[in-house]
Amino acid sequence: MSEEAISEAPAARRFKIGALSGQFGLAVIILVFWAVFSFHAPGFLSSFNIFNLGRALAVDIIIGFSQMVVLATGGMNLAVGSIGVCAVMTSGYLMQTLGLPVWVAVIGSLALGGALGWLNGFAIVRTGVNSFIITLASANLFSGGMLILTRAVPLNALPFSVGAFGRMKLGFVSPMLLIALALGVALFILFRYSVLGKQILAAGANTRAAAMSAVPTGRVIVIAHTLSGVLAAVAGLLVVARLGAAMPAVGGEDWLLPSFLGPVLGGTLLSGGFVSVIGTVLGALLVSTIRSGLLVLQIGTFWLQLFLGLILLFAVLVDRYRGLYVERQKIARP
Amino acid sequence: MKVLRSLLLVEWSGLLAAIVIGSVALALVSPNFLSEFNIYVLLRSLCVSLLVGFAQMVTLGVGQMNIAVGALGGLVAIAFGGMMEVYGVPIVVAVPLALLIGAAGGLLNGVLTVRTGINGFIITLATASAFTGIDFGITESIPFYKMPPALVAFGDQHFGAIPALLVAPLIVAALLGLFFSRTVPGRQILAFGGNAQAAELSGIPRGRTVVLAHVLSGTLAAIAAVLAVAQLGSAQPTIGADWLLLSFAAPIIGGAALTGGYVSVLGTMFAVVLIALIQNGMVLAKVDPYWVQFLLGALILAAVWLNRWRAIRTGTGG
Amino acid sequence: MNLAVESVTKSFPGVRALDGVSLTLKSGEIHALMGENGAGKSTLIKIITGVHRPDAGRVLLDGKPVEFGAPRDALAAGIGAVHQERNLIPRFSVGENILIERLPTRHGLVDYATIDHEARRFLDMLDRGIDTRVEVRTLSVAQMQIVEIAKALSLEAKILLMDEPTASITEHETAALFTLLRKLRDDGVAIVFVSHKLEEVFALADRVTVLRDGKIAAADEPMATMSRQRLVSLMIGREERVARLGKRTVDASEVVLEMRGLATSLGHRDVDLSLRRGEILGLYGLVGAGRSELARAVLGGAEMTAGELRIRGTPARIRDVHEALGKYRLGYISEDRKQEGLILMHSIKDNVAITIWQRLAGALGLIAPRSEISAVQPFVRKLEVRAPSLGQSVGNLSGGNQQKVSIAKWLAANAEILIIDEPTVGIDIKTKTYLHELIGEIAASGVSVLLISSDMPEMITLADRILVMHGFRIVGEVANDHRYETTSKAIMGRIHAAGDARPVAAA
Repeated sequence: MSEEAISEAPAARRFKIGALSGQFGLAVIILVFWAVFSFHAPGFLSSFNIFNLGRALAVDIIIGFSQMVVLATGGMNLAVGSIGVCAVMTSGYLMQTLGLPVWVAVIGSLALGGALGWLNGFAIVRTGVNSFIITLASANLFSGGMLILTRAVPLNALPFSVGAFGRMKLGFVSPMLLIALALGVALFILFRYSVLGKQILAAGANTRAAAMSAVPTGRVIVIAHTLSGVLAAVAGLLVVARLGAAMPAVGGEDWLLPSFLGPVLGGTLLSGGFVSVIGTVLGALLVSTIRSGLLVLQIGTFWLQLFLGLILLFAVLVDRYRGLYVERQKIARP
Repeated sequence: MKVLRSLLLVEWSGLLAAIVIGSVALALVSPNFLSEFNIYVLLRSLCVSLLVGFAQMVTLGVGQMNIAVGALGGLVAIAFGGMMEVYGVPIVVAVPLALLIGAAGGLLNGVLTVRTGINGFIITLATASAFTGIDFGITESIPFYKMPPALVAFGDQHFGAIPALLVAPLIVAALLGLFFSRTVPGRQILAFGGNAQAAELSGIPRGRTVVLAHVLSGTLAAIAAVLAVAQLGSAQPTIGADWLLLSFAAPIIGGAALTGGYVSVLGTMFAVVLIALIQNGMVLAKVDPYWVQFLLGALILAAVWLNRWRAIRTGTGG
Repeated sequence: MNLAVESVTKSFPGVRALDGVSLTLKSGEIHALMGENGAGKSTLIKIITGVHRPDAGRVLLDGKPVEFGAPRDALAAGIGAVHQERNLIPRFSVGENILIERLPTRHGLVDYATIDHEARRFLDMLDRGIDTRVEVRTLSVAQMQIVEIAKALSLEAKILLMDEPTASITEHETAALFTLLRKLRDDGVAIVFVSHKLEEVFALADRVTVLRDGKIAAADEPMATMSRQRLVSLMIGREERVARLGKRTVDASEVVLEMRGLATSLGHRDVDLSLRRGEILGLYGLVGAGRSELARAVLGGAEMTAGELRIRGTPARIRDVHEALGKYRLGYISEDRKQEGLILMHSIKDNVAITIWQRLAGALGLIAPRSEISAVQPFVRKLEVRAPSLGQSVGNLSGGNQQKVSIAKWLAANAEILIIDEPTVGIDIKTKTYLHELIGEIAASGVSVLLISSDMPEMITLADRILVMHGFRIVGEVANDHRYETTSKAIMGRIHAAGDARPVAAA
């Protein structure tokens, strides 16, 4: 062990190097795909396609964030899709059935998302049962409950402004994407610079040690789940805007895979204690890119699933071997 | 009270009680419940579900999760149906081939997990996506409708209220029970799930054990797929699409440890029976089918809560 | 069977654990392997037992080179081990755990009758009271260690390695173990014994090898030629220095922490304790006496079923460590630094600042990185934590440096009352001395310390007064004249007088 005194600036830890190069690798892959797609189908770069890609991307990013904040605590949220669809139908109910103004519906849906997330967190902390099981159960409770209440009837007589927002263009980008990126910035600040974020990561890395170090672990885990619920609700609302209607078929199990893809591809640890906001964004971008590209190239969307699976495998393999490579480099130095 | 206490200790006692109470209640509420036809329908719905539950139970035992249970099932289903319809492969050959495909899928999952050291959750998440992709890519969402009549007939055959198909999961259950309690590879799987490091230091071969569990899981999913095709009379690419939730719910409600090291064949079976009972009850009582999903979630919570309560009461809590 | 290790080198990311190490193990001999934490003992054992492969050098069995690809190869070659960590399958029975390497079968099926019979044979050598059919997870820590030892014995290995086998077991069981080991030695087994307890090593070993910083400091030396002084100086590279603590005055009138007739759901009864300001109050006891459990109960980990806890005069009921620090300025340095004291995957900076994030935060709950660094820096410097930077992940540090980080975070937190639990377990002697002086300084600065330790010399060096705990009760108070002979006798006298007290069953 070296006997040097401690330097002022924290050197890049193994993690950071790993994460950065992982994100760099992701960015490269994304660029490659964009090059390939635009070469084979000029329509890929059309403003129409970019606009649509942006809208889908916004939702994917936020779904990824919803899962990411729970992954930070070392757990999983299998109810991301359920909370999403509950938010969707709640907003429809508030706007159409009750005739309330849009902003009330938005607040109401976000509050519901937060409340459902809170329930998850509370149950997990109170009972000590694994988040996998609790959210597996709650996903069914929430979806089932929503289906019972709405009888699966879509609501498509929503106020005009909803659909209009969905169609709004700022240049060639949808404001939805800006919302997603703004949330990204907020989450980045949360986990890097705020007390709450650091406490969440500590609780995720080693709950026992964090609790013994005076971190209110119960409280922060509940907050993380509440936040996850709110984010899922945001994603749901964006889908409502895009569709111009509140459909009960949205979300549910469809969101399960994408919610993990973004974070995992981007370097967020399944075991907790480390997240990468930028990585999650890039991961979602990769997924959206492939989906959009396949669509434009008119390759059957059937093959999308296969592609996604292979990409995920490839990405984690590369990440794994890169980590090993970095370690081997360190040993080589005497 | 000693009898009660030792009953409490048996992990699936709560489930059995719920089944008995539920059956009695249903019989009282709906005269149709005990009809031969209804029992037949109920038992038929168990066949595939039991195997799906077992498929996940095996991976949970070794401390892993198999997200690809449904996806692999779907792939095997269309491969099975496809080879019979398109290539005229006889049933006798097609069934073992289908199982082989399932085993191969499990082998892929296992080898990838062991070789790369990456969490099995992620690996099977990826392969699930890949399998589904291949499933839909090949069939383009069009099922294979022309299944050999012998297969379809077998799928419909019954002795009174008991479907012939039920034989398969019952035999599998017996074999699995024996496997995990009395064979060395079975004990090794549970040892690994219980404490992977200890198992390795004790000479249990890590690679072989994990791969074996995944291969078993894939094979069981394949058996489920074959049964599903026989029951439906056609090979649908959507087979397996709703297996994922059930595959976890059944073993967990049945008392399996999520982190591995303990499984209960009987518990899983009773859990499947209870779930099927609820679904059957919903239909009979003409209750909104949407309640099923809601109740499933409640059931999982109830089972977990009951397990905790029991653990605290009998002093085996952590 | 003889085993020779020839010029073995092994590195891990960031550290060279073993550098050209050679030693020989002869059959019919108990060979002690000594060294500070981080010296490489566990790594060497893991190489011999097939867990790791050497980067260079080789292992020879009876003169022939062997290569172990996995632990089972070493087992097959007749090498058995009891490792430091517990390696048992929680839901398997005791018997099955003991025979897990080679489960007996009849007609292809596992033969449980034979398992119980065989396991009983080896278990009886150590403890007749453990039932082979119960699940291991229901056993106490001490019983689990006995099962582990029985497991190693059942291998009937020709070479047996034991890494800190007496860490959690009672005196009585240790004596039984030593008798057993001597018998095995007389039967021709080669035994390697790793322990930090010098008294045990002197009592048991025939020869000793000392590792220091991954290299051999002394190889295969006969125990008879060793003295405690020489052994220690070989381990640390220079003379052992006894901690020198400055003079401290304790204000006897100000009681900061008081327990009156305290009983807990863990089994404590009638605990009376008063900690004065600036005092180091020792709480001595053997493993299983209930000391750490008392700390846990105070911190909210268990219920106080009777009696009273007062902090600075006011009655208190603490919910968790968060409340303990925030409301009462009470901190706890855990005995289990790897699982509870530190977050191994996080950096030194994050580990030290964790207790003060709340305090450092400005508006909106945000912390400027600069203020975090400048808050942490002084403590890291003061404790002389050896690491290239604050961003270094704590998992890569040596045991001693890890413990320093664990302590630094509580110094940074400005706790006024500190419960310190086994501060130097598994720590090298150099750092140990340093930490003792540090604790003295902390007390001198006005912090009140409740020191929990089962290390007699440590207790006698540091404490002003010593409470003796046994069977979850306080069985005596001993004034400390800082003389080992007299004070240790007084303490042990109290424990023996208390007899074989069992803790009252939890309510």
